[in-house]
Amino acid sequence: MSSLRGNSHPSQAPGFGIPQDAFASISLNRNYDEDDGIDFEDTYDGLGDQLDEADDDMNEATFGDGGGGSGAGAGAGGTGQSIGKDFDFFGSTNKVSDAFDEEGMRFQRNQGYTSAKNTTMNTAPAAAAPKPYRTGYEGYKNASHIPDLQVDPSLWGASPASQPQPMMPSAAPPSQTFALNSQKKMMSLEEVEAAMRAQPKKPTPGPAQETQFQRPQIQSQSPPLRMQPAPEVTGPPAHRYQMLQQEQPSYPQSGAPSSSRSRVMPQASHQAERRPMESRVELPAQGNFPSQSNQVPQILQRAQPSDAQQIPQHHTSQAPRQILQNPKRHSEQLDQGQMYRPDPGHQLQNPPTRGPPGAPGPLPIITHPSQLAALSDDQRDAIMAAEARRAKRNHKIYQLSKGNGLMTPQDKNFITRIQLQQLMTATGNVNEPDPDVSLAEDFYYQVYNQIEHRPRQTPHQPLSNFAQTYLFQTGGRHGGMNRRHNRGDNHMHRMQQQVQRAVEAAKAKPKNKQLVIEGSLGKISFSNAKTPKPLLNLKGSEKLPQAALSTTDRKAILKNIEAVYTSLMKLEDHDRRVPQQPRNAQDPSSFDAPYQEWQQHFQRLNERLWLDLKVWEPIIAESTAMHPFIAFLSYPKGKKAIPRIWAHIDSQQRLTILTIIMVKLDTLDVIRYAQPQLAASQSRSIAREQVDLFLHAVMPSLFSYVTEAPLSTIIGLVSLVMDRVNVPAVARSQVGLEILTMLLSQAEIIHKAEATSKPEWASWLEMYNRLFDTVEPLLTDIFPASVSAGKDIYAWQFLATMGTGANPEQQQRLVLAVKDRVMDTVRQAKTLPPEMALQKRGNVNLFMQAIGLDVDLLDG
Amino acid sequence: MLFFSFFKTLVEQQVTVELKNDISIRGTLKSVDQFLNIKLDDIEVLEELKYPHLSSVKNVFIRGSVVRYVHLPAAQVDTALLEDATRREAATQASKK
Repeated sequence: MSSLRGNSHPSQAPGFGIPQDAFASISLNRNYDEDDGIDFEDTYDGLGDQLDEADDDMNEATFGDGGGGSGAGAGAGGTGQSIGKDFDFFGSTNKVSDAFDEEGMRFQRNQGYTSAKNTTMNTAPAAAAPKPYRTGYEGYKNASHIPDLQVDPSLWGASPASQPQPMMPSAAPPSQTFALNSQKKMMSLEEVEAAMRAQPKKPTPGPAQETQFQRPQIQSQSPPLRMQPAPEVTGPPAHRYQMLQQEQPSYPQSGAPSSSRSRVMPQASHQAERRPMESRVELPAQGNFPSQSNQVPQILQRAQPSDAQQIPQHHTSQAPRQILQNPKRHSEQLDQGQMYRPDPGHQLQNPPTRGPPGAPGPLPIITHPSQLAALSDDQRDAIMAAEARRAKRNHKIYQLSKGNGLMTPQDKNFITRIQLQQLMTATGNVNEPDPDVSLAEDFYYQVYNQIEHRPRQTPHQPLSNFAQTYLFQTGGRHGGMNRRHNRGDNHMHRMQQQVQRAVEAAKAKPKNKQLVIEGSLGKISFSNAKTPKPLLNLKGSEKLPQAALSTTDRKAILKNIEAVYTSLMKLEDHDRRVPQQPRNAQDPSSFDAPYQEWQQHFQRLNERLWLDLKVWEPIIAESTAMHPFIAFLSYPKGKKAIPRIWAHIDSQQRLTILTIIMVKLDTLDVIRYAQPQLAASQSRSIAREQVDLFLHAVMPSLFSYVTEAPLSTIIGLVSLVMDRVNVPAVARSQVGLEILTMLLSQAEIIHKAEATSKPEWASWLEMYNRLFDTVEPLLTDIFPASVSAGKDIYAWQFLATMGTGANPEQQQRLVLAVKDRVMDTVRQAKTLPPEMALQKRGNVNLFMQAIGLDVDLLDG
Repeated sequence: MLFFSFFKTLVEQQVTVELKNDISIRGTLKSVDQFLNIKLDDIEVLEELKYPHLSSVKNVFIRGSVVRYVHLPAAQVDTALLEDATRREAATQASKK
């Protein structure tokens, strides 16, 4: 078989042979004189025929039994690009080629194609005959010689630049590579030269050795090939240099392998190498020529490495790189080498021929077959199954790892940091020393959840949760990928460091959100999720000097309200920060310093709030302008603020507020606009809302104070109402009535509790009588206009309160005053459904019972 | 962040998202992010006849920038708290400048 193939090879697979060597042709050059003007036709002369016979001898040894399959593959490859993969002379070639691919891609990115060219040029001076492009044949023929040809590892390590070279052609069409090369060539040349010099140039005693040395430098790929008598193509000089220019020895002529290219003439190489620069122009034409075969040679070269060669590569230079890219790759290759032989039978049968003894790669193969033969069927099946599984796994890993090595650790680091930074700016700092900052960012959500009693959400949980989750996930993911669980912790640690660094970076970020580059017309504004890029950049007009406080000015009032809220929120914030203190200690001196400090600050805030409320604005009796505080209360926002304010002011301040309300009672919007005679239904409905709001928001606060007030305070408040306020207007409004009810009932309660002194009670009775006299003529007006109007309970409550405090004579007058209303209400109640009737009668009864009567008496 | 914070409280509530292309989608708010991208589940398009191609869609992810309005369940909004949150936001914005 092998012999057949060997013979047939040159003729049948010209492509295969051809592409191999631009350099091979160079070697031929030795025989020829160096001339730049080589005739194209000359190259075709019978050189190939000469070569074949002699070189084929070695084929058998080279290819071994398995060679048959592989040889066919190679032949096919000669014409097609697929060759690289099919050319599976040796099991692991495939993997090697992959590794080279990766390596090549990476290198291209970094350095472009130039370096490759340079290397060739540099090598020329070294006087070694470059035989860069060889067909796999060469190596195989010399299988027996392999040991001698093994590459010196140092060469590999020393000339890393040369490695990528072989890859380049495959990656890009010749013409493209060309351009690139021409541009970049010079750059890497120096480097290569330096590398070259670093390596002592050894005289090449024999062709084989020669090639060894040269190879590494020139083409890192085809490392230590045994290149001796290969069916190499030695093109005619003209071809040669063309090929050199292209850097790819893709020549039709190579199809007829000519002389043993292993003898490389230094001079020839010189020529060839120099030419590339000069004669580029020619390239395109040539490029078309060999176009089909262009890729083949490279691939072949890659695939070439025989067992013996491969191994050294793996262990020396290649393995480490691969590991960088993909830890699995190395082992995978080995595995595949075993598994994916073109012909399994071959493997088993003819292992010895494959590689030189002692080569690690082939060994397993060798052992397996013999063992298998001895094994039982079951065992063999088991072994085969295991092998299959392993292969499957490796394949899977291989597929998963396609993208491995695309990013350097630095890249990953960079991107991780960007992501983390985004995260930080979006969520705030997890390690924020002051939780309030994070609270400010997410105030609504956190407080809302607290209010809604969702215990799972503690105030600061969301933020830290976020980051924690992120950390854990990331750590887990990495651990899984590496299948190195012991490194999980390490990752966690690193991620934490990342977070910290990101935090630092975020902190260091410029506060300035806009960047104006000099000379540019626009601004660049930085934005993140937290502070989006402002689409409009409006400059607020300078603050107008605070206009003399016109309290009627709506805007001014609203501003006052906002000021109150701001102070209020500061107070509330401050409240949360109250330091631990001995609650039982009444003695201020026993409070520790932080608490005293807190207290002082609280006082300041309290004063601030008090000022904002403007309660102390002078009360000008004749002024038509609304008092600032009353104005404050005339807005819903202001009313709503009262309960909150109430919690932060002391008793004296509460009384002051109550006082000012009493003094200005008739100017309260809820009284002014709730007069029955203001009949416009629309404004009434608005007033209605305001009244309800007032009753819900403000009254409870007032009431809470009044219920604890002593009688003297009540007397004072009532007298204020009597003296300063338009009582009829107050009495005709629900809020007014309820306030009066509140005061009167409190007085009664105090009296019932016997907590009053005689003189106080006397003065109260006097006050009551005054009030009674004032209110009596209005008693029919205190009710809503129509009897059928629903809500009149407050009026009945007022009457009841008046009734309880009244003496018998006053009760008489009360009954007389509201008799009609009582009768109407009772009569109307009879027409209503039972529940509503009951309610109506109940309301009336409030009053009736207060004066010792009952509605039921009316029925009878 | 105020809106983000706000919408977070509406998760699992029924909202109607009106898009800038006039499609209104009602569904359960599943999640929202800083960009106010919205994920809705169990959606229905309000004018289903007009957008038949959406009739079989069960859940959507809506890019925040294409949202015109979000109709909220009023009962789920704490107005007073929202006012305060707004004040805080304004205060922090002001303090940052």
